Amino acid sequence: MPDRLHFRLKLRRGRLFTLDAEESLPLQGVTAITGPSGSGKTSLLRALAGLDRDVAGARSVTFRGVEWDAASGSIPAEARRVGFVFQEPNLFAHLNVAGNIGYGAKRRQVTSIAAIVEALDLGPLLDRGIEGLSGGEARRVALARALASNPAVLFLDEPMTGLDSQRKSEFLPYIARAVSQAQVPALYVSHASDEIVTLADRVLELGGGHVTGWRTAPMRLTARVVAEAGPGVEVRLEGSEADGPGASISVPLRALPGETIGIGLPVESVHFSVHHPGSGSALMVLPVTLRSAAGASGQAVLDVLGQTVTVPGVMRVPNAQSFWMSVLRVLPRPMVGDSPT
Amino acid sequence: MTVWPAIWLTVKLAFVTTAILLAVSLPLAWWLTTTKSRLRPVIETITTLPLVLPPTVLGFYLLILLSPTAPLGGLWFRITGDTLTFSFTGLVIASLVYSLPFAVQPLQTAFAAVPRGALDAARTLGATPRDAFVTVSLPLARRGFLTAAVLTFAHTVGEFGVVLMVGGNIPGRTRVISIEIFTAVETLDYATAHVLSLGLLAFSFCVLMLVYVFNRRGSVRVA
Repeated sequence: MPDRLHFRLKLRRGRLFTLDAEESLPLQGVTAITGPSGSGKTSLLRALAGLDRDVAGARSVTFRGVEWDAASGSIPAEARRVGFVFQEPNLFAHLNVAGNIGYGAKRRQVTSIAAIVEALDLGPLLDRGIEGLSGGEARRVALARALASNPAVLFLDEPMTGLDSQRKSEFLPYIARAVSQAQVPALYVSHASDEIVTLADRVLELGGGHVTGWRTAPMRLTARVVAEAGPGVEVRLEGSEADGPGASISVPLRALPGETIGIGLPVESVHFSVHHPGSGSALMVLPVTLRSAAGASGQAVLDVLGQTVTVPGVMRVPNAQSFWMSVLRVLPRPMVGDSPT
Repeated sequence: MTVWPAIWLTVKLAFVTTAILLAVSLPLAWWLTTTKSRLRPVIETITTLPLVLPPTVLGFYLLILLSPTAPLGGLWFRITGDTLTFSFTGLVIASLVYSLPFAVQPLQTAFAAVPRGALDAARTLGATPRDAFVTVSLPLARRGFLTAAVLTFAHTVGEFGVVLMVGGNIPGRTRVISIEIFTAVETLDYATAHVLSLGLLAFSFCVLMLVYVFNRRGSVRVA
């Protein structure tokens, strides 16, 4: 049984196609779906989840070998086990926080939501009403509610819309941790590059209602937590020597010593140089060897301390066999167990 | 001249009408809120018509419809041996038609105000459409329910023209408060007219006040 989500959707409003897309997504880790406004990202997620059944068109969706939508019939939204986190929290105003989280749990025979409540720091809020919640708290409740419904896959549709940047940076680690802890594959709609670099294992691009292709996955290194440091943790890159270059950095993340975490490298924060740039403002300076150069179609593949990093086509790599990589800023995310491939 | 039979009759009529109308209007309002049917404007117009029609026009057609010579009234007469016109049952039927918009419109407004996103969320969380209706739409529309009940009750208590046309003026059978007042004035019994009128005025004021105070706290407004 292929561990994939395959869809072929032709949806129209009037005589215009709003979505005409076909793709097969691996159901592992986080697949980011990006593209400009109006490119069909939200329509795609909603169609896959079985919402908007009144929109005319042809649907063919297969999830792990099960036909969700086919010419012969459809599985209704409530039976697809899609944990959907919408752009708005969409909480139930007549229930308190515990009632909201329990809504899906009750319907899917989930007996304990304690772990989810704990992971999202919602314990003190359980008895509160919905009106009093801050924007960030409401998002956390919405995320917990989706996770508590025992989803087979998580759909996150720009779940941080409307939060200010401070709240976003607080909320993003919760998403990262939830996605990794739940061991559930996720589709993450966003056009914010920081969110994508932090979370995504691969990036699908939409434009004008069509799939325009796969983007290079964000550059990411793995590291191991060695100690807690103030509000964050000290991590050491896998493959680095104790006193070697870029041995350890501290990142603002809650994690336990021994845990493996991913270190996302935003494109604009990475510089390559033939000579060691010397001590400067870089967070880390790492030795790099070229594994395969950028060809006409392919991207450059680098070896960084034994880890493989594929460089997006937009970056220029020095014409040398070995050189240096300076990193100015990293976006860490927790990873439980083996990193998804 | 005792006014108690009229008061008792009015309260009974208002209660029965409100109970039946809420049960009928609930599915009707839900259908009007969610349907994409082309019949919707027609049904919507019909449910709103009693709001603008003169009660005498409404009462006249109901009188024709309910009379023993008409199919409906005739059928009722053959089954029960009683006429629908000039009876309590006839009054209830007339009140149902007359007060229909006051039950449907607040419910329709309340259902329309239920956020679509909450219903989508409920579906993805494992709720069937019926489950989502019962556990999300109904609780979120509860203020509309109360508004509908209160307005329907008050409006039924206050009706006059339709009752007079369909029910006439039979003490203890069809003589409700408003007709009792009319009769009292006709016979120059101003004392009775004062008592009943003041009672209705106070009642109406309190009811409307209740609705407004209640809706000030919520987001659902009276249609």
